[in-house]
Amino acid sequence: MLLLDYQNVLIQSLLTERFSGAPPVSIDQVVSDFDGVTFHLSTLETKSKILISIAVKCFKELLQYGAQDVLEREYGPYITTPEAGYDFSLIIDLQQLPEDAEAREDLVRRVSLLKRNAMAAPFERAFDDFAQRQEEAAKYTSESAPEGVAEGGEVMAIHYRDEEAIYIKASHDRVTVIFSTIFREETDRIFGKVFLQEFVDARRRAIQNAPQVLFRNEPPLELQGVRGLSKSTNGEIGYVTFGTVKNVASQY
Amino acid sequence: MANQTPAVVMDNGTGFSKLGFAGNDSPSFVFPTAIATKGGVGGAGGSGSGRPAVANKPSFLTGGAGGSNLSAKRGTEDLDFFIGDEALTAATGPGYGIHYPVRHGQVENWDHMERFWSNSIFKYLRVEPEDHYFLLTEPPLNPPENRENTAEIMFESFNCAGLYIAVQAVLALAASWTSSKVSDRSLTGIVVDSGDGVTHVIPVAEGYVIGSSIKSIPIAGRDITYFVQSLLRDRGEPDSSLKTAERVKEEYCYVCPDMVKEFAKFDKEPNRFLKHTVTQPNGKTSTVDVGYERFLAPEIFFNPEIWSSDFLTPLPTVVDGVIQQSPIDVRRGLYKNIVLSGGSTLYRDFGRRLQRDIKHMVDDRIRASEARSGGARSGGLEVQVISHKRQRHGPWFGGSLLGQTPEFRSYCHTKAEYDEIGPSIVRRFALLGGPGST
Repeated sequence: MLLLDYQNVLIQSLLTERFSGAPPVSIDQVVSDFDGVTFHLSTLETKSKILISIAVKCFKELLQYGAQDVLEREYGPYITTPEAGYDFSLIIDLQQLPEDAEAREDLVRRVSLLKRNAMAAPFERAFDDFAQRQEEAAKYTSESAPEGVAEGGEVMAIHYRDEEAIYIKASHDRVTVIFSTIFREETDRIFGKVFLQEFVDARRRAIQNAPQVLFRNEPPLELQGVRGLSKSTNGEIGYVTFGTVKNVASQY
Repeated sequence: MANQTPAVVMDNGTGFSKLGFAGNDSPSFVFPTAIATKGGVGGAGGSGSGRPAVANKPSFLTGGAGGSNLSAKRGTEDLDFFIGDEALTAATGPGYGIHYPVRHGQVENWDHMERFWSNSIFKYLRVEPEDHYFLLTEPPLNPPENRENTAEIMFESFNCAGLYIAVQAVLALAASWTSSKVSDRSLTGIVVDSGDGVTHVIPVAEGYVIGSSIKSIPIAGRDITYFVQSLLRDRGEPDSSLKTAERVKEEYCYVCPDMVKEFAKFDKEPNRFLKHTVTQPNGKTSTVDVGYERFLAPEIFFNPEIWSSDFLTPLPTVVDGVIQQSPIDVRRGLYKNIVLSGGSTLYRDFGRRLQRDIKHMVDDRIRASEARSGGARSGGLEVQVISHKRQRHGPWFGGSLLGQTPEFRSYCHTKAEYDEIGPSIVRRFALLGGPGST
């Protein structure tokens, strides 16, 4: 079954093999991942030190939304100065691995989730923001809410590809995640529409607690006033809006 | 894009698939070219004979005729499959049957191959095909229809940005450029490609395979393993499983200059006899003596009569014969550039022995013609066998080497070109790494 994992399989298998105590060999591998992410695994001066670098298109934006904190929390002592041409680097010394096999496995898992963790920052921030706003909003009734509480926070944009982006916005009753999609070809557009419509209909038909989903060709209201939205001329751009609350969202 | 995505290099062989990114020194993934799928309706897996034949082409090529059985329309059975090592594991359990979509180097079952590719691209390599260029390999003498099928799948199912299909032998030649013995990066040479099932001797001139002179030899890695196994059995070793034989073959075997002398050496120096310890899955260990098979096993390339009774031509004679059959103006280049490729050429001194034997044959022939001509002197002929560090995954490495060159993309056919012209576009490719390119 084509179930895609969150982690990068190659990093996982490579590190598992290295950590198992196999004789050190030099590594120099460029690895690619979805969304134009590139990894570079290499051994620099000695074979026992593995440098893992990641290049993400939207790393600057991620930094703005607190990626550094998330990465520091996840990787703390392993962080090193980024390799030239890459955005973020980890260094792992094979001679100073955690003793315990479980801790090693955990390290492998964490490193192979590097891309997910890098992208996680804006989501985490949005959910924190949501919690705050929810508390805030509990003090008011819907009529008496002052300006700003009802509207929700700023829209965080992550331009993870050239023409597509993720927008995240927290408000007092939900977190909204909007994916802009682009389908160039007519057939693709129809396939995309049918496929995404399934998401929209899922809630109506079977799964009551599915997050609310909207799919439309115009930018949704949440994105009003956001600059840099490309104009859809032939309807090739679509916007998928997921409105979600925390208990559902924790699975992201 | 400022930072170009690396090209994806996929070498799908009969036994193993090598997947990775151009520019790397080794493939990211090497796993069996195997796919485990659910058996037919009600069938308990395996290749049941009562099952309707699987369509041999993707369903869009046959107009849906292949998918006409109801089960294909019912659920997600077509998504329920595993590839590679996972396939082998799944096949031992109930419900799944294992299939090998590539036979004798050529794709036999396109439907399985498409699914194999989809999983290797999305699950293992984790790339979006529309962002990457692809370099695939094909065996020599692959029919152009196969190329077209490949292109249809690559462009229409996966929408990949660009595609190049290269001949494995040519890539193996390119891989040899890393050897210090190679001074000019020519694409003329003989590739001796010995894998698990079969050994090919393929002459290549200026990047084009001389199809009429290709020879294959039915002796390869598997035969060596069987030979080692039979030797172990004859001696009554405690463990003579195929797996042990394979380990012995890979760890201890080498090529000797002279069989008879080597026997004498072994008798004089008993430290040449080794012991191999086998650990069974249940934790028991047994010790296997390793003796003459150390040099006898690879010897079946040079003296096939010790193993086979129906194929008796030694490898050096075959190589020499292939060169003699090739056009006369490339022969000198072919003798000078005999490149090894594949796992069964990794024995120590394999290249040296091959070079010596061919050299003997060539020198004998020159002497004979000098004698016949009555006084004319020959300038001699250089024979050089090149072994290099990347032999094991030669074609893949050659692909990686060529795929990272800046001009690689200009040699590919892009999706737009495919849409314009159609599948027949892939019948021809400009020669990558050939004359004129750097």
